Amino acid sequence: MLMQQLLNGIVVGSVYGVFALGFTLIFGVNHIMNMAHGTIFMWGAFAGLFVVLTFDAPFLAAVLAGAIGGGLLAVVLDFFAFRPLRKRNAPEFSSIVSSIGASFILLSLAQQVTATRVLRFPFETFPVVILNFMGLRIQLLQLVIVGIVVVMVFGLLFYLYRTSYGRQIRSVAFSESTSKLLGINPMAVNFQVFFISGALAGIAGVLIGIVFNSVHFMMGEPLLLRAFVVIILGGLGSIPGALIAGLLIGIVQTLSVAYLSAGMADAIVFSLLFLVLLFRPTGLLGGATSVARVTRS
Amino acid sequence: MKFFLSYIPLFELALFNMLLAFSQYVVLRAGVFSLGTAAFAALGAYTSAILATKLGMSPWIGMAASLVLGAIAGALVAIPLARLRGVFQALATLALVQIMLSITLNWVDVTEGALGINGIPRSVGLFGMFCAVVVVGYFLAVIGASSIGRAFDVIREDETVAVSLGISVPKYHLIAFILSGSIAGFAGGLHAFSSYSITPNEYGFHMLVMVLAMVVLGGRVSVWGPVVGAAILTVLPELLRGFQEYRMVMQGAVLMFAIVFLPRGIVDTAKNIWRARRVAASEAAKTKAVTV
Repeated sequence: MLMQQLLNGIVVGSVYGVFALGFTLIFGVNHIMNMAHGTIFMWGAFAGLFVVLTFDAPFLAAVLAGAIGGGLLAVVLDFFAFRPLRKRNAPEFSSIVSSIGASFILLSLAQQVTATRVLRFPFETFPVVILNFMGLRIQLLQLVIVGIVVVMVFGLLFYLYRTSYGRQIRSVAFSESTSKLLGINPMAVNFQVFFISGALAGIAGVLIGIVFNSVHFMMGEPLLLRAFVVIILGGLGSIPGALIAGLLIGIVQTLSVAYLSAGMADAIVFSLLFLVLLFRPTGLLGGATSVARVTRS
Repeated sequence: MKFFLSYIPLFELALFNMLLAFSQYVVLRAGVFSLGTAAFAALGAYTSAILATKLGMSPWIGMAASLVLGAIAGALVAIPLARLRGVFQALATLALVQIMLSITLNWVDVTEGALGINGIPRSVGLFGMFCAVVVVGYFLAVIGASSIGRAFDVIREDETVAVSLGISVPKYHLIAFILSGSIAGFAGGLHAFSSYSITPNEYGFHMLVMVLAMVVLGGRVSVWGPVVGAAILTVLPELLRGFQEYRMVMQGAVLMFAIVFLPRGIVDTAKNIWRARRVAASEAAKTKAVTV
């Protein structure tokens, strides 16, 4: 039983990790807390569902549609909500406010479109195959999800640390004005960063939508709130930190839902956030630079 | 007179929103990115409601308890948060709203869960709310004109300058959190005693966005900012009643447009223009005097 719950926790936690990766990427490069990330996740799930319902598309096509839908939405969001502020060199607070506004718009549009219903992926989107392994019941879907997550994480790491695009992104994250002097176009970098971040959110949306078999307009909010806990626990802008913390939060949450109650799970997860802020505000994997970025002198 | 009577609930809502906006305004003025107003208001509302319905205490005790508990909660939250930078304060206080929501939803023995607490004796009317707004507004104006207000302004505009002037940022952030918590707690108490019933979901993300929009739209330096912002955003949905479904879209759009095009808010922008005009006028008068 415990092992089974741990397995479920790892599957959910790896999706949390992917979702938080996109969030932490934007934060690391553009210093924006994108409060609309949860609604991008939700619209990504809608995009996947739309493709499945209208074209009878297979599972992987739905994931791809979620990625493209989420990515494009994030680029549009950047264009309307963040670019005017960047031009003016506005403080961090402005971008939080503007993304909260944007998330409100996207949320209520989704509510209008779906008429507040809970939608479902058709039953045959992913065949239910159950493998028995050392007494554990593992669904094929769970394996595929963990596989997709692993591929995406390594893909992202490769992109960031082994290609010239990734070098450009990292140099803009370090200093936008210096990278301009070096002939890097920050607009192109922002485009990439927002697209990648939105695509990660969209994929996470489709996966969560299929795992829990429900797609509705409020599905992004709990995930966004968990993502805050994940990135604070994992350490700011740290990719391995986001993954480890994502897994950890996923496990903690599944275990507390299984052994305590669903309401308690929320309270435990968010109290964890306060404990981390109180005792180790830089998170598990925060380095020396993040100390200066998190705390005041 | 009849016309006025039918709009009493709207006026009460506007006054309640003004109190919440005051709570959000104090923290924003001090450069604290707290979004915790909704959580403090929920704390205050539930404190008052529980004291009145379960223990049968008088509204005065209930409201005093709401105010004090709000202040204590603000101080407790400030301990970990005053030393963190803005965005982390925003995240943590957002989580605070969520913790409060899950407590009020799940601690059914005390809070009645999702049904909320009903049958609270109504003991605060329009006049009471109005007095509360005037008192709190005056209090904030006095504080704003004192050294505390000046310290808040320096911290908001430039923290490095504030530190170099010997202003302790954590200390003033603590003050701001306590003020915000007590005002929001008080507002929650008033709301409980003026609306018969309270439910957990009233004090959620929607309230947070609405209150934030009021202060961003109105302005966060002058005390009139939250008043104007709350008045506009309470009345606007009533005027656009035909577009009921798009109310939330509109609130989100107001928030975005305000921060992009009017980053200082209506009142502070107007004040700046007025001041610039007066300076220009007096300059013109001076040059005239010299040439003549």
